[in-house]
Amino acid sequence: MKYDDIIYLLPLLSVGIGAIVLMMLSPIKSFSINRLSWVAFSFLIIALLSNTLNFGMVYSVTPFSGIFSSMIVVDTFAGYFSSIIIAGGIVTVWVGTHYFEKSNMLRGEVFSLLLFSVFGMILLVESRELFTTFIALEIASISLYSLIGFQKTNIRRVEGSFRYLILGSFAGIMFLLGIVLIYAGTRSTNMIDIAKYLTTHSSQDMTLVMAGGTLILITFLFKIAAFPFQNWSMDVYESAPLPITAFMASTFKVAIFGFILRFVLIDFHELKNIWSDILFYIAILTMLYGSFLAVFQTSLKRMLAASSIVHTGYLLIAFVSINSLGESASTSIIFYLIAYFLSSMGAFGMLSYIASDDHLRVTYEDFRGFSHVRPYMAAMMSIFMLSLAGIPSTIGFIGKFYIFVGAIESGYTSLAVIGILATFISVYYYFKLIALMYFYPSPEMKGEIPPLKGIPPLVIALMAVLIIWGGIGNTLISYFPGIDFLIDTAKLAYQSLFM
Amino acid sequence: MDIGLLSFIIFLPLIVSFVLLVLPVGMKTTRNIAFATTIVVFLLSLSIFFNFQLTDYMQFREFHPWITSYGIYYSLGVDGFSMIILMLITTLIPLGYIFLWKTKKAKGYWASMLLIQTGVTGALLSLDLILFYFFWESMLLPVFMIIGIYGTGDRIFSTLKITIYTIMGSLFMLVSILYLGVAFYNEFGVWSFQLSDLVQITTLSNIQRTFLFFGFMIAFAIKIPIFPFHTWLMQTYSNSPTGGVFILSAIMAKLGIYGIVRFVLPLFPHQYVEFAPYFVGLGVFGLIYFGIAALMQQNIKRMFAYSSASHLAFITAGIFSLNIYGMTGAAFLIVAHAMATGGLFLLVGTIEHDLGIRSISGLGGIAKKAPFLTVAFALMLFSIVGLPGTNGFVSELLIVMGLFQYNQYIGIISASTVLVAASFMFWLFQRAILVKTDNDVSKMKDLDKKEIVGIFSLAAVIMAMGIYPHWFLYKIAPTIQHYLVDILKVGVAS
Repeated sequence: MKYDDIIYLLPLLSVGIGAIVLMMLSPIKSFSINRLSWVAFSFLIIALLSNTLNFGMVYSVTPFSGIFSSMIVVDTFAGYFSSIIIAGGIVTVWVGTHYFEKSNMLRGEVFSLLLFSVFGMILLVESRELFTTFIALEIASISLYSLIGFQKTNIRRVEGSFRYLILGSFAGIMFLLGIVLIYAGTRSTNMIDIAKYLTTHSSQDMTLVMAGGTLILITFLFKIAAFPFQNWSMDVYESAPLPITAFMASTFKVAIFGFILRFVLIDFHELKNIWSDILFYIAILTMLYGSFLAVFQTSLKRMLAASSIVHTGYLLIAFVSINSLGESASTSIIFYLIAYFLSSMGAFGMLSYIASDDHLRVTYEDFRGFSHVRPYMAAMMSIFMLSLAGIPSTIGFIGKFYIFVGAIESGYTSLAVIGILATFISVYYYFKLIALMYFYPSPEMKGEIPPLKGIPPLVIALMAVLIIWGGIGNTLISYFPGIDFLIDTAKLAYQSLFM
Repeated sequence: MDIGLLSFIIFLPLIVSFVLLVLPVGMKTTRNIAFATTIVVFLLSLSIFFNFQLTDYMQFREFHPWITSYGIYYSLGVDGFSMIILMLITTLIPLGYIFLWKTKKAKGYWASMLLIQTGVTGALLSLDLILFYFFWESMLLPVFMIIGIYGTGDRIFSTLKITIYTIMGSLFMLVSILYLGVAFYNEFGVWSFQLSDLVQITTLSNIQRTFLFFGFMIAFAIKIPIFPFHTWLMQTYSNSPTGGVFILSAIMAKLGIYGIVRFVLPLFPHQYVEFAPYFVGLGVFGLIYFGIAALMQQNIKRMFAYSSASHLAFITAGIFSLNIYGMTGAAFLIVAHAMATGGLFLLVGTIEHDLGIRSISGLGGIAKKAPFLTVAFALMLFSIVGLPGTNGFVSELLIVMGLFQYNQYIGIISASTVLVAASFMFWLFQRAILVKTDNDVSKMKDLDKKEIVGIFSLAAVIMAMGIYPHWFLYKIAPTIQHYLVDILKVGVAS
């Protein structure tokens, strides 16, 4: 047994141990939320730093392959995705601290659950065996079910939590059934073995595998809230506490995409052919229906939830074209995930930061004249909106650029045109917020607005800077990592899948 | 990394603007520093003008990798056509500042003006289509802010309207750009969005090219605006603050024309020639339609807005006339019209500032109170209507000649319309400025010293360009020749 393998498992271990430690600390009254957030942060940052040890290399190892029988693989791909996930955890911890303190309803368990969820997500992108995947998915989801229900003041929390629990379990059953069918066909649940089976057998032998794969894809569509499985997301996002909504909308999506990319790229070349037609229409409907929902929202939180459906649609565009352009489509998915992660995390994070004791600022109207009260916060919020709308000089534009170029390159120009249409509609609901913040005179704000100090605003500001940096790139300072760096490393991640 | 002259021109206003926004300085300091910045930029552009070589090549090139995995370069350059527009922008913007000096706007207003300058010069000088798109979209944001925050009337609705309208156009253009990039990649195996590379694509069919052609044209047609994409114009112009109208009419609309010549013409020469008759037709129709609409207006700002649209339609007809007279005339009229119309909107802004918003019949008798303003107003008007001795005359004459060569009847129609428009303008001038009426215009103040220096130097340039057009024409002649002979292959007019 090689004990130096442990270094590859360090991120997973650190987050897992952190979750348990936090669970033990949380009943102790003298540990304030602020202190607990520092504890959570330190475990997460250890995980993130240990991830960076192998950064920039193409590697693929199966640590302790004897014990785990190759169920877990740590490669560049997993490292890349888990870095984003851990970063999501860190941002959630920091923007959440303020919210949890203010809302006065959450005990320390929230950080423990959050770290368990992060643990599940990391395991999800690292597992190469379908039952492990299922377990990872459930760890991540169950922690989220309880986190959603944490907001005691929100009357709809039980509904949201239960709706997600029931639908999520239903999707989980689909997933299990899919695994069983695949096992029936191939006598294995390991992705490598399945891939071998698929390449050595003719398509007549694959009915069961295809059926199983389809069920797994349905679970995937459910989890990313694609059409027609999108309806849960609006209510769940709304009833969850804001930082948790942010975490779900951005980070969980990253993890799910990480899993499905591995699943589809390694195994299911055949399935991709069958599914690309259906996914084509699903992508279109997801974008259009999401836009339709988003236009009519008066609550900013619901608008962001609906727009997250639209962004899922953009990601599906790249997912459709993965068939003909494996590498560049996967790269563009990864890049877009980062872009969306930064922008939506920023927007949700800002929303949760400015929530005060007695007033949750979540509707458009709450932002009327906001720029006069908090000019820097309004500027940051505008940056997030511009990035979500894909306006040049933000990372959102570059992300959309890759997705649309990929769509045109693989012959799906119509998808690119629909994507552009959705982008165009999105300008309305994103710019509406900017217009409200800037074009109205200074209002009388309900409740106090927290000032611009402490760590949470710093984290949010850092994301705003990253968005601009990612949109402008590294023309000026060539040795500093920019857009090219992100793309190159994403390509390395792709290559490590096939080692 | 070395930073070239063009980069400096583009990014100096941006940097100054950010510094001013972050530093706790007052409105006056912001305005003064912003004005000084535009003067510096003007001086830099003068040095470009004098060092400009008389060839059809791109000059002052700057070329740096930006997003290498997709072959996107930070690529700048200037040729005869963009050089005169650059001169125009850098000359007009300081003038605008002089006239907006008195307006009690917050420092965000001046910072936005600087940002606009970065956007327009960037779009003007970039030779990579993605870079161009980048600037083209970015210049919208400060305009959005200026109209939305500092406008009047139903400003929020009109801001959202112009924003959504123009973004719609640009997104069509974006799809076309991406499609071209992919076509280039499929043919040559490398990514590039350089204009000079994309013109080499041979694999696209005519139908594909036609679609792409219209993808680009919609974006530019909305910005100019060409009929029937003008519906945003009136609301936006009447609800904008003076600075916003000035920028929109004198500079941004011209960039639409520039975009057609710079990108559409070399990328789709065949479609350009094929659809030229329709655009000439739309142009001449717009000339008449907007001219009539201008006649109906009671508000002086709205009237100039329509008359400006009418001239822009005329310029559009000129660039599609496919001969050296029409094209050169159009290039010249871009400059002439921008100067005159910019000047006029600034003067109208001064009148509005002193007297409030009024209809034409509510004015009158300003001449006595403000003689300098009257003279300046008259000079600008002379250029607009194309009186001999102004640059308006030279350019309108050239376009009419071009249109005559294109088609006799179109020539006759446009020439007579221009004449009727001229007489109408003088009638307006008489009613609004000269004739004494019972209306109270006692609050009207004459131009102050700064404004006099500014507007009369502009007038001097207008006259100089009218009397010695050759000084300016010879700089752009090689470029226009190149467009017609090498790209469109329609031959030179004898």
